[in-house]
Amino acid sequence: MRRRFLLTLIGCAMIAAGVFGAYQTNAQTKMPRMVYRERTLPNGLRVLSVVDKSSPTVAINVWYHVGSKDDPDQRSGFAHLFEHIMFKSTRNMKAEMMDRLTEDVGGNNNAYTADDVTVYFEIVPSNYLETLLWAEAERLSGLTVDEESFHSERAVVEEEFRQSVLAPPYGKFSYMMQQKSFVSHPYKRPGIGSIEDLDAATVENVQKFHTTYYRPDNATLLVVGDFDPRQFDTWVDKYFGPIQKPDLPLPRVQTKEPERTGEKRFTEYGANVPLPGVGMTYLVPSEKSEDAPALTMVDIILSQGRSSRLYQSLIYQQQVAQSTNANADLREDAGMFELTAIVAAGKKPEDAEAALRAEIKKLQDTPVSAAELEKAKNQIITSQLRRRETNNGKANALGQAAVLLGDPNRVNTDLEKLQAVTAADVQRVANKYFTDKNRYVFFYLPESMRPASGANKMSQGRESINGAKGAYAK
Amino acid sequence: MKVAITRLRALTLPALAILLFAVCVSAQAPQATPPPPTAPRTVQFPKPVEKTLPNGLRVVVVQRSEMPLVSAQLLIKSGGEVDPSELSGVADMTATLLTRGTTTKSATQIAEAIEALGGSLNSGAGWDASSITTSVMSSRIGPAMEILADVLRNPTFKDEEIERLRRQYLNSLKVSLGTPGLIARFVAARVVYRDAPYGHPLSGTPESLPRIKHDDIVRLHDTFYRPDNAVLIIGGDITAENGFALAQKYLGDWPKPLAELRPMAITTPASEPGNRRILVIDKPDAGQTAVLATRSGINRDSPDYFRGIVANSVLNGYSGRLNWEIRVKRGLSYGARSELEMRHWAGSFNASAQTKNESGAEVASLTLAEISKLATGDLPDSELTPRKASLIGGFARGMETTSGLVGQVSSLALYGVSLDEINRYVSSVQAIKAEDVKNFAATRLSADSTSVIVVGDAKKFLPALQKAFPQVEVIPVGELDLNSAGLRRAASKP
Repeated sequence: MRRRFLLTLIGCAMIAAGVFGAYQTNAQTKMPRMVYRERTLPNGLRVLSVVDKSSPTVAINVWYHVGSKDDPDQRSGFAHLFEHIMFKSTRNMKAEMMDRLTEDVGGNNNAYTADDVTVYFEIVPSNYLETLLWAEAERLSGLTVDEESFHSERAVVEEEFRQSVLAPPYGKFSYMMQQKSFVSHPYKRPGIGSIEDLDAATVENVQKFHTTYYRPDNATLLVVGDFDPRQFDTWVDKYFGPIQKPDLPLPRVQTKEPERTGEKRFTEYGANVPLPGVGMTYLVPSEKSEDAPALTMVDIILSQGRSSRLYQSLIYQQQVAQSTNANADLREDAGMFELTAIVAAGKKPEDAEAALRAEIKKLQDTPVSAAELEKAKNQIITSQLRRRETNNGKANALGQAAVLLGDPNRVNTDLEKLQAVTAADVQRVANKYFTDKNRYVFFYLPESMRPASGANKMSQGRESINGAKGAYAK
Repeated sequence: MKVAITRLRALTLPALAILLFAVCVSAQAPQATPPPPTAPRTVQFPKPVEKTLPNGLRVVVVQRSEMPLVSAQLLIKSGGEVDPSELSGVADMTATLLTRGTTTKSATQIAEAIEALGGSLNSGAGWDASSITTSVMSSRIGPAMEILADVLRNPTFKDEEIERLRRQYLNSLKVSLGTPGLIARFVAARVVYRDAPYGHPLSGTPESLPRIKHDDIVRLHDTFYRPDNAVLIIGGDITAENGFALAQKYLGDWPKPLAELRPMAITTPASEPGNRRILVIDKPDAGQTAVLATRSGINRDSPDYFRGIVANSVLNGYSGRLNWEIRVKRGLSYGARSELEMRHWAGSFNASAQTKNESGAEVASLTLAEISKLATGDLPDSELTPRKASLIGGFARGMETTSGLVGQVSSLALYGVSLDEINRYVSSVQAIKAEDVKNFAATRLSADSTSVIVVGDAKKFLPALQKAFPQVEVIPVGELDLNSAGLRRAASKP
């Protein structure tokens, strides 16, 4: 569940940045340019804001540049557990007071933890802006935590694990693909963690994590909606200004994911698998790469809508799949291009794999037509317009550009890059990244398909490696 | 993610050892209390306008032009409730098949045409309505409406497409029946509505889907897809004048059949203590247990509407009572929620949560206890006022997007509620008092006529559940039969 949200988010990252130049797109639709104000306080807090008085509400986002990849050793899932604890008490707020200041006055709040960032947001009637700035400054500078609320919230997170990984039929399938696709980089630890690691977490871990990462020079405050800019600056100075920048280094993940050196395969069996699942991942560069726009275009061409290639080929024509997906999951340090199919009843997982591979080959061998490329570009524009209908959607797009892409103005410039992608670019990235040695193939099968002879009942899965030079994926 | 569910109310956390760690030392003492709000601004919602075309088609346009987007939804005021009992799923298949081929375009050509515009076109049946919805950039609404009208008026329902869709539905049902929360929903419908319409799964059962024939689909389309049984709602960056002109251009000559559409009336059972069920669906491989409390509720046109939604808001939401008791206070779930679902001829109330298998019985008891307390316990204004604010805020946020705005107007239009209700909603909610909520809970939500469905690994919660409730029925998931209120395959009956 959490993962789904996050994929959507990250998937949109490249698309997001810059969909809105004040120019005419192919679709002859004028994109409103996002006009934002930017300042940085002496303590390092970056502040971005956009005035939009169309409704008497305001969206507040605080983006901390710390995510699941920063989970401490043996503590997978910790950044996300920590995010939950941020709704408990602070020096001057009782547990759950954030809800009193939002939900109780007609607003709402939430947060999410992605691989690279943790984002907190509130949407409130605009006359509560000052109140919420105070509250966000409180939890940045004065989080407190007691054993009881820590244990009870950890139990909630463990239920979230069960709800997203154990209860749905394909929860473990996604989890396994995430775990296996990276071998060195901490992206190999799914952000939801494991019950074992969550159980091992302590209040001391919470304190240390807050000290290390929750500091003004690792945070970006974004406010979009109905407010007076001058008054807003005064409030920001008043509540965030006094928070000191700690004199401690800010750790960053340095691990590089090695290139893959041969096709790998992994098969897992599960008790509750209504139809077999087939997945494939390829390592691709980060969202900052020059190839990111073309990879995003490949994602759209393969998977968006009923005219997309995977739907047309696997679901409609061959009827080999019940559902399909492609996702350019481009993250800050490295990316993963993922293709999945849930196999239709009576069909073989091998057939679904062959069909997915045929679509990859087609992208490599034949340039996409002008009409297909134009369609994908129109789909991107529409989805970006929809994303930016709300104040919170705008804040999110701006946060993505500022924190993950390193330049808030990419919220206005990146669409040009997407609109400039050519058929040759699409073909080039397909050939560059979708190679045999860069492929990892996953089968997720019902227990009834487990080979009867010689199979170890206790085994967690079967792995094989083809033509590799010794690079085992654990 | 912390997800949109509840936390707590006026709690007093036991004063435990509070470990304060002022990480970033402030140069000056921070302000100890939150600054109060400044003066509020009032919210204004767009005003829908409407007209009826000579063929009987009602057209509603609601303009809001901040983003260059338009959504249009064509509603047929008949949905899954018209399915013959042997053919559950036929209304949904019919609606879905509209986009799978017309007299001039194949399924693939339709998908390519709408997506080339950057838009989407989806159709399907719900309860009380079938719909076709398109969402596009405003510059492309003309061609999108042309496609919408084509699939509405000229579908071919080719056998090849029927077979393809039938297989997709059967596959999809397999996945749904592996999901504890969805099994609980299917079972709840049978428990509340029994063998009446609304009791079956909207997209059919493994037994009903193979029975649906081409002629059943054509008959359903001929009967219900007519302009005097339809509403078109267009919203977003479009003027009323342009919206009406588009409707006239593409649907003005949609002929109205001579024969009147025979009005339908459905009777559904009311939940009473005598027909309450405590039902376990035993799924030994379930990674978590789904708990669902369910009972009959109110119709959409009930005078109790606002009392009902306010009563529900006391239980529902992140800080509603269910989530507070189950998630925040006890850590038993990622989220507990409730809904008062209202339909033309019936409504239902559902409260649900998922928990580890071992806690299934505890969550079932807590859920019923909160429903019961709503009628008998205190409801101070300090609790009711924030719950009403939360309800109003959710209503306003739901209309922030073009598709949300169109969805809200659609549901009013479908049930014949005055479209002005959008601008009366806030005051109608504000007028509800604690006594109204308690009376509603006592007369409409009594816990002792509320059934409970628990889907999970039964051996981990059954003894505790049997202690809490007499007469627990247990059905192994392999023997579940969604075709009738008995819910168990006849062959497996002892």
